[in-house]
Amino acid sequence: MMVLPYLIIIPLLGAFSMPIVSLAGRKAREAWAVLISGATLAVGSWVFYHVYENGTILYTLGAKSPLGQGVNFPIRIVWEVDLFGALMVLMVTLVSFMAVLYSIGYMRHDTGLDKYYALIITLELGMLGIAITGDLFNFYVFLEIMSIASYALVAFRNDTWEGIEAGIKYMFVGSLASSFVLLGIALLYGQYGTLTMGYLALKLSESLTITAKVALALFIAGLLFKSGASPVHMWLADAHPAAPSSISAMLSGLVIKIGGLYALARIAFSIYGASVSVKTVGWLIIIFACITLIVGNAMAVIQTDMKRLLAYSSVGQVGYILLGLGIGLAAYGSQTGEVALAGAIYHTFNHALMKALLFLIAGAVIHQLGTRNLNELSGLAKTMPKTTFAFLIGAAAIVGMPPLNGFASKWLIYESSALFNPVLAAIAVIGTAFCTAAYVRVLYTFFGKPSEKVMEAKDPEASMLWPMIILTIAIIVMGLFPWQISDKVMIPAAKALENQLSYIATLMGGG
Amino acid sequence: MDVVGELVYPVAGLLGLYVFVSLTSLVWEGIDRKLVARMQRRIGPPILQPIYDFLKLASKETIIPNTANFMFRAAPVLALATAIALLAYTPMGFAPILASKGDVIVFIYLLTLIGFFKILGAISSGNPYAKIGAAREAAIMVSREPAMMLAVFAIMWRLGKLGVPKPFSMEIFYTHNIWEIGTPMSFVGALILLYVFCVWLASEIEVGFFNIPDAEEEIAEGLLVEYSGRYLALLKLTHSLKAFISASLVVAIFFPWGISGYFNLTGLPAQVVDLLFHTLKVFALLFVVQSVFRAVTGRLKITQAVDFLWKNVFLASLIGSLLIAMEVIM
Repeated sequence: MMVLPYLIIIPLLGAFSMPIVSLAGRKAREAWAVLISGATLAVGSWVFYHVYENGTILYTLGAKSPLGQGVNFPIRIVWEVDLFGALMVLMVTLVSFMAVLYSIGYMRHDTGLDKYYALIITLELGMLGIAITGDLFNFYVFLEIMSIASYALVAFRNDTWEGIEAGIKYMFVGSLASSFVLLGIALLYGQYGTLTMGYLALKLSESLTITAKVALALFIAGLLFKSGASPVHMWLADAHPAAPSSISAMLSGLVIKIGGLYALARIAFSIYGASVSVKTVGWLIIIFACITLIVGNAMAVIQTDMKRLLAYSSVGQVGYILLGLGIGLAAYGSQTGEVALAGAIYHTFNHALMKALLFLIAGAVIHQLGTRNLNELSGLAKTMPKTTFAFLIGAAAIVGMPPLNGFASKWLIYESSALFNPVLAAIAVIGTAFCTAAYVRVLYTFFGKPSEKVMEAKDPEASMLWPMIILTIAIIVMGLFPWQISDKVMIPAAKALENQLSYIATLMGGG
Repeated sequence: MDVVGELVYPVAGLLGLYVFVSLTSLVWEGIDRKLVARMQRRIGPPILQPIYDFLKLASKETIIPNTANFMFRAAPVLALATAIALLAYTPMGFAPILASKGDVIVFIYLLTLIGFFKILGAISSGNPYAKIGAAREAAIMVSREPAMMLAVFAIMWRLGKLGVPKPFSMEIFYTHNIWEIGTPMSFVGALILLYVFCVWLASEIEVGFFNIPDAEEEIAEGLLVEYSGRYLALLKLTHSLKAFISASLVVAIFFPWGISGYFNLTGLPAQVVDLLFHTLKVFALLFVVQSVFRAVTGRLKITQAVDFLWKNVFLASLIGSLLIAMEVIM
């Protein structure tokens, strides 16, 4: 039985039935949301397992084969999930499930929750669609589903000034970025007459026109916006703090990766890999990566707002992933490039877990104390020990301390960048130094003398605590087997991404 | 998997080393206090005094301040655990128990982690004196480590060029050493780096110039101000272990020679003899860096210490490393 469509069917059903289920009351709504995202997680895990065991899945909507009758090119929408895509599916379903579970306690005091849960499941739907699709226009539709859901969710608390402000900023910038992507797609379609990624790659390798290069530039520009790379990261620093924390966790853990980095990798490797000069594109991305690394991490050091600090730290970490991706392109086909790419994929996954954890913690703190100002949060460890412990683990992981999962992924990126160009490794290390300074500062505050404000706080309720515990355990357990995970999952995923020929062959062979 | 070879022997070795080093390092502290006392024309405490101190502290009531959080109690345990784990990566006259490719990074990491846990424990007490001590410790820590890292990486990289199976492993010091490169430039470089490592060692164990974070007289014991009873005992033991381990690194880099070869020993007896000889060398080094330095100098201000570590020691480390690397680069 083909389970892949249920990855879309289940969230779609969940989102569309939410208004009706909501009529049965708050409990039913929450139970339905948890059930839907839990079922999606089950399907997502299955898809990952299936792809890991059997290789790439090709699924055609409406027929058995993507090829039309009597013609030898694909005419239908296809979904193509290789190991890289499957990994993203697993990541999205896992973190989304945690965020939905967390929302039960966290969003208790808000109104309009039927819309909230419908939107959060739509957000998950959009991200899953991006991860599995093999069709360029389908990709754009899912990108917009994801983006619009996240605009609405950022501005969800519309009685606060900052929610509206950040929402408007994010919407304007995000729509502009999306229209870049759409324009790119239109140019490619006009030039080559197809929208299927694999077939487009084939066409591109036959003749690379200037239009295709312009389209690539538009894609890169649009997707760097979406991934929060510097110098176009400004929406991110406002959107993450203003959104409800469960949403920040999804935005920072998932949206910027799926809508930005995953899409960038997919377009750069699977579509343009064989035709365009990978070295040029690689160096272009590396330059943005270096700026992002330094700007993001350095700005994180000076923040006094906890969620803003985490948001800038996300920008910094996106820099590492971009660096890995850029080196993977610039050193295409060599051992170094493969390791860098594996590091980038590994770090994407790890950072999703870590940053989701950290934002959930920030949410718990805000929920208890009503402030995000770090200067007022002194001595939190006294009254919220479990939360602080989880923060300690998350912070240590993001800095890259050895027994935790962040170490291996960052190590792969350091190692490959040192082999590729020592200057890049130096920049990466400087970024980490800033990152360490930022998090040590927060720890210094959390473990200090308890302030009066902190004394009434206590650890959050079970529905908020459990997602944090599960993510903490995941971070620790993944940290214990770094090289096994790297060899068994991340390197094959990087190989799957690099191997454009098999991507095309799977499509043209019909599955 | 060979359970006995890969699990039982290393664990037994680590436990043995732990017991040996704990006793030896406490005894050394007694000797150190005796020597310093004699330099100042006092009789001083008996040599086993630190062991009595340890036992007394361990048996006393432990007071937890009501502003303290869970880290206050966890930090001493974690610090000691890190120190014990570090023993498995420390060269002790023979290659470390868990020697592997790149283990020097683990060594540096764990050594720094001990200081980090100390800081975390101190700020968790909620005492402002401890907080000042922690800030000073952090400032010293980030100033002293780069000089050492640069030097140790330069030396290992240079020795790695002589051909070894496991590059950047502590094992390397027992197959090649820095003096056998033999050119005048490398000799001068090695001497400069010896100076760097001696200052680093002094700042690592916080004596003489660098007795800043714990400065008893100025900020009332600084980091350790709120610790008492068992936890203080654990921290004191950790401090002694750390002194021994840091000194072991310097000894392994600059004076790695063993004597078991002269007696035609092999296997376990050879390791025991080498360990004892190594301990002797550690004592000799600590005598210079700890006892003498502590007796003849006072502490610097924190700003002076940071300045000194960057402008003098780091610079020396840079020059020494360049001299060592010179004939390979050119």
